[in-house]
Amino acid sequence: MTTGLVLAADAANAAGAVSTGEAVAFWILGPLAVLGGLGMLFARNAVHSALWLAVTMLSLGVLYMIQQAPFLGFVQIIVYTGAIMMLFLFVLMLVGRDSSDSVVEVLRGQRLAATVLGIGFAVLLVSALARALSLVTPIGLAGPNANGGNVANLGQSIFTDYLFPFELTSALLITAAIGAMVLAYTDRHAPGGKKTQRELVIARFRGEYARPSPLPGPGVFATADSVATPALLPDGSVAPESLSEIIEATSTKRLSEDIAEVSGNVPAPDAHALGGANGTGHRNGSARPGLPASTGTSGSAPGGEEAP
Amino acid sequence: MSTMVLPTAADPAVSVLAAGLAQVPQMDYRAVLPVLVVLGAACVGVLFEAFLPRPRRWLWQVALTVAALLAAGVALYAYLGDAPAQGVKTFAGTLSIDRPALFLWGTLLVLGLGAVLLIADRSVEPGGYFVAQAAIRPGTQQDRAQAAGANMHTEVFPLALFALGGMMVFCAANDLLTMFVALEVLSLPLYLLCGLARRRRLLSQESAVKYFLLGAFASAFFLYGLALLYGYAGSVKLADIAAAAGGTNRSDTLLFAGLGLLAVGLLFKGSVGPFHTWTPDVYQGAPTPVTAFMAACTKVAAFGGLLRVLTVAFKATSWEWRGVLWAVAIISMVIGAVLGLTQRDVKRMIAYSSVAHAGFLLIGAIALTEQGLSGTMFYLLAYGFTTLAAFAVVGLVRTGEGEATHLSQWAGLAKRSPLLAGVFTFLLLSLAGIPLTSGFVGKFVVFSAALADGMAPLVVIALVMSAVAAFFYLRVIVLMYFSEPAADGPTVTVPGVFTAAAITLGVLVTLLLGVWPAFALDWAGSGGFAL
Repeated sequence: MTTGLVLAADAANAAGAVSTGEAVAFWILGPLAVLGGLGMLFARNAVHSALWLAVTMLSLGVLYMIQQAPFLGFVQIIVYTGAIMMLFLFVLMLVGRDSSDSVVEVLRGQRLAATVLGIGFAVLLVSALARALSLVTPIGLAGPNANGGNVANLGQSIFTDYLFPFELTSALLITAAIGAMVLAYTDRHAPGGKKTQRELVIARFRGEYARPSPLPGPGVFATADSVATPALLPDGSVAPESLSEIIEATSTKRLSEDIAEVSGNVPAPDAHALGGANGTGHRNGSARPGLPASTGTSGSAPGGEEAP
Repeated sequence: MSTMVLPTAADPAVSVLAAGLAQVPQMDYRAVLPVLVVLGAACVGVLFEAFLPRPRRWLWQVALTVAALLAAGVALYAYLGDAPAQGVKTFAGTLSIDRPALFLWGTLLVLGLGAVLLIADRSVEPGGYFVAQAAIRPGTQQDRAQAAGANMHTEVFPLALFALGGMMVFCAANDLLTMFVALEVLSLPLYLLCGLARRRRLLSQESAVKYFLLGAFASAFFLYGLALLYGYAGSVKLADIAAAAGGTNRSDTLLFAGLGLLAVGLLFKGSVGPFHTWTPDVYQGAPTPVTAFMAACTKVAAFGGLLRVLTVAFKATSWEWRGVLWAVAIISMVIGAVLGLTQRDVKRMIAYSSVAHAGFLLIGAIALTEQGLSGTMFYLLAYGFTTLAAFAVVGLVRTGEGEATHLSQWAGLAKRSPLLAGVFTFLLLSLAGIPLTSGFVGKFVVFSAALADGMAPLVVIALVMSAVAAFFYLRVIVLMYFSEPAADGPTVTVPGVFTAAAITLGVLVTLLLGVWPAFALDWAGSGGFAL
């Protein structure tokens, strides 16, 4: 009986009519989502790309809510935008926001082919979906939203119709947890396990390792905040041991000022003190217009940590 | 159920349940007992990892895993007598336990037992095939220290059980959602297991990453197909999709796009045709017992799922899609046979052979007749045992650095170990499909089913490709018997009890199904899918 009432009430929805509010929200959120997608494609900086993608996901989440799918909307925002995108950003920040993809085309004509195929695929997809969906009469939201609403019905399906797959998901979660532990955990008491700091120092000075000190860290806090920045030796050359094998380091060209400074080629030892600005000004002016010469040349000044 | 929810019946959502509008699903625990035993044992195995001291884990885990597989087998056997011929649908129709599902479960359990025996072996390699601590970076001093030790990750046993449980659910899943979850449950442990080899760890880790990335793509394809099919039929149940496809004037675009994407995901898992690219690398890099497990059991699960999807949901539209799968089968056979010729590594060669076999299996799968169904399932059983034993033999031929998989190292092996060469020859002949082996009977039933269904051109191509593939099997045999062994060649390890048992099992079943296949064929043909 209740179902009948709800069915009657939602007859307008079932016929596919769109209310004004929904239309307004769509025309605001739809372009935003498209903009986010394009922004993600064309942003040079990987972090900007990720943030553009977050815009798209947020717009979609709100769209879902407007289409009376609040659970889906919130899951979209909490899981995708909140968890996955932020994890993605963490990884980007750890690897270094400076390190970008190589823009050299490995395969000749790859970009052109990808563009043509991509546009072709989009056309195919849109036309196929348009054809497929134009003749369909919408079922409407009466069924899914009856008897306590969308979220309650989802919960009900999970514990009745889809009980088994829902329970099976636990196997998936256990596997994921074991996998993380297997791949990441080392037992320090097992042979080959990690040594404590103290044992390591003793072993180093006994000559069990190639060098008594740890490897030099990256030049992270000197001029940039990325592990891709190599450390510099006192003579201005890059310390090769500070380079990671798996991350492409910041190119030496971009470090030229730091190198010049460390190696003492800058003809003003008291640059940040008094009148050395004109000595280093042209050098800095070309590469770092935003920073005053004094901060640019002083390795110890706090301002030196900020790099453009 | 109702007593549980009555106290909070004021809540509107709960009152629905209390009023009896929501149906509590019927659960036939007896029918699904084998799956529950396997998955439950996997959970107990995880607890063992948490609470047992390291030196005792291996023994307990092996005992638990073998006991669980035997118990699941007993449960299956006990249910078999009472099982209704038309099958049972349980858990609100998400699982369909019918004759094919029971046959595939039995196949999976026995093959899984063989694979677990290989995984448990510690005689061939001191400490086992698996690394003691995967988190230690390969090539470092600590890595060398742990390679000399006699430990291994005993988590591989619960992981293998989880994978096996996922495969069993995959064969019986009656809706696409359950199938997808099962696909992930079977894949995730396999990705992990691939990366845990004790020797050549970088190769092993590379194979795990490749399998994981490509597998994630394949899962995404499957999911996209699922979404489109849901859009078409308004349901993820296979029977509903069949009903929707049966007689409507809806546009078929969603149906066929969905089927195509779904098929990509399924064919990827079965390492068929153009979706096989992961197979050689992963088979080569993964620890040999895991390769054996994947080659035997994953194929059973993937084709079991494919058979069910095609037969239950898409039989009515077979006229439209069959041509595409014809092409896929041909491509798969050609790729497997031709590229197999060029391989110089035994594990890669068997990997390409598995691609070719996937093509043969697909021929049976698209026949969509009772004969095709039983033939394909028999082929899966026969091929699984043969390939399991073949990989076990590959694991025995070793040098100081690990397995000697390069073909040149196998030259003259018959002079070093006539027994091993004889066993491997027999297995290769079975893979080639020579009479008196199970491979011949498998090919015979699949091809005759295809002929009966009017696919004569495909059968002709398959026969030609079988002949081409036989060439590279025979090449290994010739190499083993008619070449002089190299002075610094590999040695043949005397296998311990576990590996010997697995090889014996594989060889005996290969022989048994070759000379007396009737009982297995009868069981495979005892009934169709529950529609």
